[in-house]
Amino acid sequence: MSDAAPAETTRLPFSAARIPDDVFAAMRRENLARWPTGAEVDLDEAVDFHKSLPAHKNLSAVMRKADAEGRCLTQPRGGFGTLELQLELMRALDRDGLADIVPTTTDSYTRNEQWERAEAGIAESEKAGRSMLNGFPLVFYGPRTARRLIEAVDKPAIVLSGTSMPRLTGEVGFAAGFSGYLGSGLAYTTSYTKTLSIEDGIRNYQYLDRLTALYRERGVELHRRQPGFLTGTNIPPCIAIVTAIVDALLAAGQGVRNYGLELAQTLHLVQDAAAIRACRELVQEYLTKAGYADAFTPVTSLHWMGAWPYDDAQAAALVAYGGTLAAVGGAISVTTKSTHEAYGIPTPEANAEALRTTRMAIYLARRIRIDDMPEFRREKELIGREVRPIVDRVLEMGDGDVAVGTIRACEAGVLDIPWSPNRQMKSRVLPARDADGYLRILQPGDMPFPKDVLEYHEERLRERAARDGVAFGRELAVSSVYEMSETLEKLIPAG
Amino acid sequence: MSAQATGPARGRKLITGVIGADTHIVGSRILSMALEEAGFEIVALGAITPAEDFVKAAIETAADGIMVSSLYGQGELDCRGFRDLFIEAGLEDMLIYVGGNLVVGKQDWTDVERRFLEMGFDRAFPPNTRADQVIEVLNADFAVRSAGRRIAE
Repeated sequence: MSDAAPAETTRLPFSAARIPDDVFAAMRRENLARWPTGAEVDLDEAVDFHKSLPAHKNLSAVMRKADAEGRCLTQPRGGFGTLELQLELMRALDRDGLADIVPTTTDSYTRNEQWERAEAGIAESEKAGRSMLNGFPLVFYGPRTARRLIEAVDKPAIVLSGTSMPRLTGEVGFAAGFSGYLGSGLAYTTSYTKTLSIEDGIRNYQYLDRLTALYRERGVELHRRQPGFLTGTNIPPCIAIVTAIVDALLAAGQGVRNYGLELAQTLHLVQDAAAIRACRELVQEYLTKAGYADAFTPVTSLHWMGAWPYDDAQAAALVAYGGTLAAVGGAISVTTKSTHEAYGIPTPEANAEALRTTRMAIYLARRIRIDDMPEFRREKELIGREVRPIVDRVLEMGDGDVAVGTIRACEAGVLDIPWSPNRQMKSRVLPARDADGYLRILQPGDMPFPKDVLEYHEERLRERAARDGVAFGRELAVSSVYEMSETLEKLIPAG
Repeated sequence: MSAQATGPARGRKLITGVIGADTHIVGSRILSMALEEAGFEIVALGAITPAEDFVKAAIETAADGIMVSSLYGQGELDCRGFRDLFIEAGLEDMLIYVGGNLVVGKQDWTDVERRFLEMGFDRAFPPNTRADQVIEVLNADFAVRSAGRRIAE
């Protein structure tokens, strides 16, 4: 496994400040030398290639256009272990799924920079005749070969690589012609790593954001995106949005101006619509205060990220409803799952079918909005009252530097993530679903939510506990984890 | 009420963890919480745990069983040779379970289970298994193990 952090020679004091040009040039040289395909990265050539692409293959332009037109785009996930399988998958998602944005998910060895293990996985996949890797080994193939993926479809392509170590995958992806990259320092480090420090995770994404800005300086706007879905398990909107604000400030500090925000669906129509609206407004509020009023921050809504039902029919309802939630909420795009989700990675056919189901739901949502509903207003206002005290405390703790404040806030538990695998996080905050289906805070840990807000959450959750005959406590959180995967017989007992 | 450890199973020491490069911690954590409440002693290794670390922890803590989780599809690669590591460490009789979404995509469970049993796991659990089911099986297995057999029928 290669070093997670840059070498000491280029290690700046930790801050949110823009990485200076000369230091960044040295960092890039070091980074690209870590695997043979790094030598194929040629920034001038990559910039020319991006400029040669039509606007409809550039994700930044496509997101701006969808926002201007009030559309909700569809994007699946998807990655297989060999070039041939990946080409076939991307063509199927484009042709049969009518995907507006085509993905390449990397395999987990690549995400953890275990490139030699990914190489072995390709050989195993070829031998078995099926993918033994859970994604595409982008770094192993390198930018020249990976460009064939870009040339195979007439849509914008995004790299999905759930990792806190995006430095080489990002270089290879952008050089290949991918115009989007999902991931961020706070969200992914707290949700996808165990031993990596939050500081090193943020440093790694500062590299990627600085690289994105380097392309921008050369006239190529690329789309960066924040994975506010975090650990994917019952994340209340306020916690997602706190991380979105922090990561957006960090990215803007490196020069990123096209930054998407992903929110996992809570599966409550009102809470999701309020979250989508509140997310964009609150991120804009803090970016503007920090002097980045020119940043474009579209919101992407994500199909249910928790445990899925095993029954195809139940899963199909989550897929279709997910399209409705995204469209009614006013998301600029929706990231889909499929009826195979409970079993793991879908076939290209199931993946494409879910895209079409979602697309039909978006069509049916027309221009329906619920912004004038009293419940919508109540929830949106509540999210603001939950988010601001946490973010303000984070900024205070950093004495004006959001990077420094983030580390201190994580250590103090002021900034916390439910179900985090990262040992640096307290992970004491615990969510659960209330009697009406809203996600609420069961235990706040050390997060400084206002007292009246917590009282409201507790009151709503006590009602759920009483109704279900469950003790008010951890069991409520655990049953909320499984709720959506339960059978219909359990969810709606026969009258 | 939730299932409890009974008879020879009570107080047994179990290692839990998510194998390989897999970060899906929730199932393993809920299992650990439930096992602890049921009366087992738990050593939780957490997410992203190399196969070798399970063996190391088993030796250091003199564990009675290993509960491997995998949810991201690459379990089939990560779990190859897992039993051999225990044999090499002189722990050939270690009780080893695996559970989760163990392979890439929707595959027939009987076939998946057979593959993992052939790899040397004592039991493989399909997706959507609840902690209570695991506790019942642990009770049965520890009961026959004190009688010299490997696992219960």
